[in-house]
Amino acid sequence: MAPLQLSHVDPAIIGVWRWHAAIATLFFTVLVAVFSVPAPGIVWPLAPLLVALGGACWSWRWPPLSYRYLRFGVDDTGIAIESGVIWRSRIALPRVRIQHTDVSQGPLERRYGIGTLKLYTAGSRHTKIELPGLNHQQAIALRDALLAQGGASGV
Amino acid sequence: MASDSNFQPTQRLHGLSWLFGLTGAIRQLVVPLIALLFFNVRDDTPGPFGPWIVPIIVTALLIRAVWVQLTFRYGFSLTGLVIHEGAIFRNVRHIEYARIENIDTERGPLHRLLGVAEVRVQTSTGGKPEASISVLGLPAVQEMRERVFSEVRPAEQVAADSPPEQTLLHLSIDELVRHGLIDNRGMILIAAAFGVLHETGIFVLDPQLLERLLESPSAAGLAALGLMMQIALGALTILAVVLAVRMLSVILAIVTLYDFKLTRVAGDLRARYGLFTRVALTLRTRRIQAVHQTESLLHRWFKRVSLSVDLAGDGGGGEGDNDSSRMRTRWLAPVCPAVSAPELIAAALPSLDWSHQPDWQPLAAGARGRIFRKTLAWSVLILTLPAIWYLREGAAFVVVSCVPLAWMHAHLYVKHTRWALAPDAVLFRSGWLKRRLAIVPRDRVQTLAVEASPFDRRSRMASIYVDTAGASSMAAGIRIRYLGAETAEQLASALYRTAGATAP
Repeated sequence: MAPLQLSHVDPAIIGVWRWHAAIATLFFTVLVAVFSVPAPGIVWPLAPLLVALGGACWSWRWPPLSYRYLRFGVDDTGIAIESGVIWRSRIALPRVRIQHTDVSQGPLERRYGIGTLKLYTAGSRHTKIELPGLNHQQAIALRDALLAQGGASGV
Repeated sequence: MASDSNFQPTQRLHGLSWLFGLTGAIRQLVVPLIALLFFNVRDDTPGPFGPWIVPIIVTALLIRAVWVQLTFRYGFSLTGLVIHEGAIFRNVRHIEYARIENIDTERGPLHRLLGVAEVRVQTSTGGKPEASISVLGLPAVQEMRERVFSEVRPAEQVAADSPPEQTLLHLSIDELVRHGLIDNRGMILIAAAFGVLHETGIFVLDPQLLERLLESPSAAGLAALGLMMQIALGALTILAVVLAVRMLSVILAIVTLYDFKLTRVAGDLRARYGLFTRVALTLRTRRIQAVHQTESLLHRWFKRVSLSVDLAGDGGGGEGDNDSSRMRTRWLAPVCPAVSAPELIAAALPSLDWSHQPDWQPLAAGARGRIFRKTLAWSVLILTLPAIWYLREGAAFVVVSCVPLAWMHAHLYVKHTRWALAPDAVLFRSGWLKRRLAIVPRDRVQTLAVEASPFDRRSRMASIYVDTAGASSMAAGIRIRYLGAETAEQLASALYRTAGATAP
C-alpha cells in the first residue's frame, strides 16, 4: 500500500467532533452532578467540576489529534483508510469488494457541510467501513468514483 | 427478459405441507401455549375464552398453514427462481439462478416418513436463507436442484446427464466415536441443562434434607473410611462424571453426524448426515471462502483432524434464527485421518495449485519475548491475589512458577505459528496445544487491515487482519499478530493488489 497517496479529510470535521464531545461532556456533568448531590462535604461541587473541566479539555484537544491521524487514499484498486490515535489501523478495501455505499449526514454535519461515506462489504468483521469528515460534495464524488467500475458480485 | 416479468409460477407445495407449517408454528409457541393452558384451566383466573383459548389458537394456526399452502407457488423462469406468496398481501420474489449458492434440505423423522424435506435456498447476501420452502416432496427437490444448478453450470457439464457422484469421505461408527470423544459437545449440553435447572430453582439447598443426609448411616460410614478412601472415592466420582460426559458426547456425535458422507458431484461437494434428522448440504466450491483445519491434543492422539469451510452466504446475521445455528458449522469433515486432510482441502479449493510446498515464514524476531512478557504479566495479575488469599507463603511458589510456564508457552507458540503467502492463497498456522490452519484463496480476500497497538509500535511490529466473507464475526478471516511492521505492510499490499485485481 506504499505508493498510495494519503490525504486528510475536511478540517471542518474537527468542529463537529468538538460539538459531539461537548454534548457528551455536558451529559456526563449533569449525570455526575445529580448523583453526587447527596454525597458529603466537598464532593458535590468538586466532582461535576472536575468532569466538566476534564471533558472540556478533552473536547478541545482530542478532535485535532483524531483529525491528524485520519487519512485516506484512493487508487485504481480501491481505497485505504488510516485512523486511530493510540491504536492505529489501516484498512484497505479493493473497489470490486464494495457491495453498496451510503453517504450520510447528521444535523451537526449538515451545518458544517460535511458527510460520512459508508462502504459495505460482504466480509465478516469489517462489513461496514466508515470514512467521516468528507466534504459532502467530495463524499458523493468519491462514492461515484468508487462505484464506477463496480458491478462484480463482490464475493 | 420481457417474458420474464409476467412469468407465472405454477409449482405448488407438497400436499401435506400444512402439517409441517402447523407443527413448526406450534413448536415456536409451545411455551406460551403451555402457560396459557395452565393458567386458563385453573378456575380462579379464567381468561377471555376459558379453556377454549388453546384450541382456538391452534385452529387459527391451522387455517394460516392451509392458507400458506394454498397460495404458495414457485417456478423456474428463464433467469431465476420465482416465488409467489399470499393472495391478499402478495409477495413475489425473484432469485437469480447465478446468485443461488446452496439448496439445502433438512428432514426430521416425520419428513422422512412422508418422503418430504424442508428446503432452504441461500444466496450470498448473508444472514438467513433467501427463501425457506416448507415442504417439498423429494422429486420436487431433485428437480429444483437440477433446474437451478444446470442454469448456472457451463453447457458441457449439463450434457453429461447424471454426473457420477464420487465419495470423498464416509465416516464409520468408530470414526464418529472418536469425534465424540474429541469434540466433547456433551459438556455444553450438560452446562446448558445445569443452567436451565438452576433457573427453575432445583438447586436451592433444602437445609433439612441436607441435615438428614449428613446424619444418615451412609454418611457416617463415609466419614469412617479415612482420608485416603475419601479421596479415592472423590476421584472415582469425578472420573465417572467425566466418562459419562464423554459417553454423552459420543452418543450426540453419532445421532447428529450418523452416516456422514462427503461426495463430489460435477465439481461441487455434498455433505449428508444425521440419524433422525437427515441434513443434506451442498457446498459449492465456487463459494468456499476459506478452509479451517483444527487439531487439538486429542486429535493428535487419534491422528485425526477436523476440517470446516466458510461459505459465502453464511454467517453475519442469524439473530435468533433457530435453524441457522444448526447450519453454522459447515463441516468438510468433522473428523478425518490427518493423512487424508490435504486431499480433502484440495477438493474444497480446486482452483489452488498444490504442487508447491508453501514457503512458511516465522513471526517477527521479537515476538517470543513479547508473548512471554504479555503471558507473564497477565498470569501474575490474575493469580497473585487468589494465591495469597488461599496459600499465604505458598503464593510465591505459584507466582514464580508462572515464569517457566509463560516461557514455554511463548516458545511453543512462536515455534508452531507460521504464515505463508502462496501465489494464489494465504495460509496461517497457529497455536501449539490446539493447532489451527486457515487457508484463504487470494481472490476471496475482502478487506485488509494493518493494525498497530502502542506496544506494537514500540517494538516496530503490527498485526494484519485478512477479512473474508461467510464466517461468523468471532472467528472470521485470518489475524496474524506480531509481524514486523514492514512485513505486515508488504503482505497487506500484495494481498490488496490481488484481491482488487479479481475479474468480475
